[in-house]
Amino acid sequence: MTRHVSVDGRSGKIEIEGSRLRYEREDGVVVESKFSLEGASVLLNGRSYRVSKGAGKEIWVNGRLFSMEVFDPRDLRPGQGASANQGRQEIAASMPGKVIRVLVAAGDAVEEGQGLVVVEAMKMQNEMKSPKAGRVVEIRARPDATVGAGEILVVVE
Amino acid sequence: MFRKVLVANRGEIAVRVVRALRELGIASVAAYSDADRGSLAVRLADEAAYVGPSPSSESYLRIDRILDAAKRHSADAIHPGYGFLSENAEFAEACGAAGVVFIGPPAEAIRKLGSKTAARQLAIAAGAPVVPGTERALSGWEEARGAADSLGYPVLLKASAGGGGKGMRRVDGESELQSALRDAASEAGRAFGNSEVYVEKLVDEPRHIEIQILGDHHGHLIHLGERECSIQRRHQKVIEECPSPFMTSHPDLREQMGQAALKVARSAGYTNAGTVEFLVDRDAHFYFLEVNTRLQVEHPVTELATGLDLLVWQLKIAAGERLTLRQEEIAWRGSAIECRIYAEDPNHDFMPAPGTIVHLSEPSGPGIRLDSGIFEGWNVPLEYDPLLAKLAAWGPTREAAIRRLDRALSEYVLTGVRHNIAFFREVLADPEFRGGRLSTSFIDRFFRRRKKPEDDPEAEAAAALVLALSSTSSRPAPREVSRWLDSGCEDILR
Repeated sequence: MTRHVSVDGRSGKIEIEGSRLRYEREDGVVVESKFSLEGASVLLNGRSYRVSKGAGKEIWVNGRLFSMEVFDPRDLRPGQGASANQGRQEIAASMPGKVIRVLVAAGDAVEEGQGLVVVEAMKMQNEMKSPKAGRVVEIRARPDATVGAGEILVVVE
Repeated sequence: MFRKVLVANRGEIAVRVVRALRELGIASVAAYSDADRGSLAVRLADEAAYVGPSPSSESYLRIDRILDAAKRHSADAIHPGYGFLSENAEFAEACGAAGVVFIGPPAEAIRKLGSKTAARQLAIAAGAPVVPGTERALSGWEEARGAADSLGYPVLLKASAGGGGKGMRRVDGESELQSALRDAASEAGRAFGNSEVYVEKLVDEPRHIEIQILGDHHGHLIHLGERECSIQRRHQKVIEECPSPFMTSHPDLREQMGQAALKVARSAGYTNAGTVEFLVDRDAHFYFLEVNTRLQVEHPVTELATGLDLLVWQLKIAAGERLTLRQEEIAWRGSAIECRIYAEDPNHDFMPAPGTIVHLSEPSGPGIRLDSGIFEGWNVPLEYDPLLAKLAAWGPTREAAIRRLDRALSEYVLTGVRHNIAFFREVLADPEFRGGRLSTSFIDRFFRRRKKPEDDPEAEAAAALVLALSSTSSRPAPREVSRWLDSGCEDILR
């Protein structure tokens, strides 16, 4: 079995054959080992790793956090991903919370870095800023609404 | 002694109070809001009383609903924990009027010390040193500018009714003053329902050292020494210790600060547990900051170092018993350090990170104390402070306590929400921290010298292995691994 891996923004590949694995990163680093997996415990080269998966991409290994995704090569489609800060930008909530204020209106011209929406969670306010100069084409955030992480609040073009 | 006590709080402190009550054979009633129906405190308490919807302004801050809950459950006393109504004189008074004992100082003492400006005046009158600044709330921009000018920048704006760093702003020059004043006032208004702000000279890179006090209703008042709480982010403490490493090189300071704290407490007619906070500069000058008229979040380090149970004493004192400890009996043994486990992301400005606890495995073993309010499956609500638990370690020396705390942090598994456990391990390994060279700007400076974690490809491989195998088990793909591997993964991913 072969899977593509993305770890903290870097890509790699893991091959698993029976009880052996080979992990190779884009920078050429290779780990080869027999493995044993029992519950949350992984043994590699005689060393013990405690692995726990959290929400989203988070995975903890011995108290260290990795942001990791695994892709089946059969699922990867070419041509995804536009370059950053170009064209239409969807500004999403970075944490779950409540919309406190909407600072712009649809049709407004905005500067890069200008505050768009204020979201509050756990008594802390967070201002969502525009990633580019442009025009507000859509506002989905409503004052007092509860939003989830990743929920789109404003669209700037 | 009381028969039944209402716990008018939530999270780990509600659990702490329930535990103390059970140890004394007193029945406990956990107050809960909608978001806290499933909380650990509700599970552990003998009884539970609904006090309203999730926003604290409609539940934990509602005097009428808390008193009604006490009445419905025939509680004869209320423990307010920290935060919420714990420093609300009106609440303390209302408890008295309703025939329920408020476990804390008299309303009059809270009133005298609750406003930072009033407390400052009281401290000056009592002879405790204070940081130069305005002694009353600023009337507006003109007065702020004048005051800041005469003190000299940098200055610090602070909320009169404040605590926990809310409504606090550092101002380095006049150009920043106006917006800082507006921000501080609006933050204070939101947090405390009082937007009054005052201004102080900023003491550069101070230590935050506070004195724990304890007094009964028979005129006996003692101090239990200091806690150093210099490690802060957003003016909120995250690591606290007793004794302060500064005391090693300044052996007389504890007694000097203790006596200053007692003067302030005495002149306010203080009883029960309280904390007098000071800033301490490099030359060991100390300045009165404020009094927290309640039990502190970080009380466990004092308990570990002195062997006393502050909560039990709070209950005994509130029930009218005598504080039978004499000042000269108080002894500090070894060293205790606590870190506050928050649902927040240290790599993104300590942004709060509410969510559901997916997996939890808590540390234990020699010298470890954990005051936790969470369990696997608990949904950390976004309505409240993101404190999850407090992990404290005791050791015969500061170095031993640090090693123990680090060992316990290494055992702590907590997934589903971002947290600061790994960050604490980095701080504990920092040579400045090890050397006890602390100040309230420690974390800012730490970030500037922080090293990237060492590359660990084998750990990545272990994680990739688990994820790769779990991705095959969660979908009907061709099977290439044995069944026991799948069940192992499902166990991890539950």
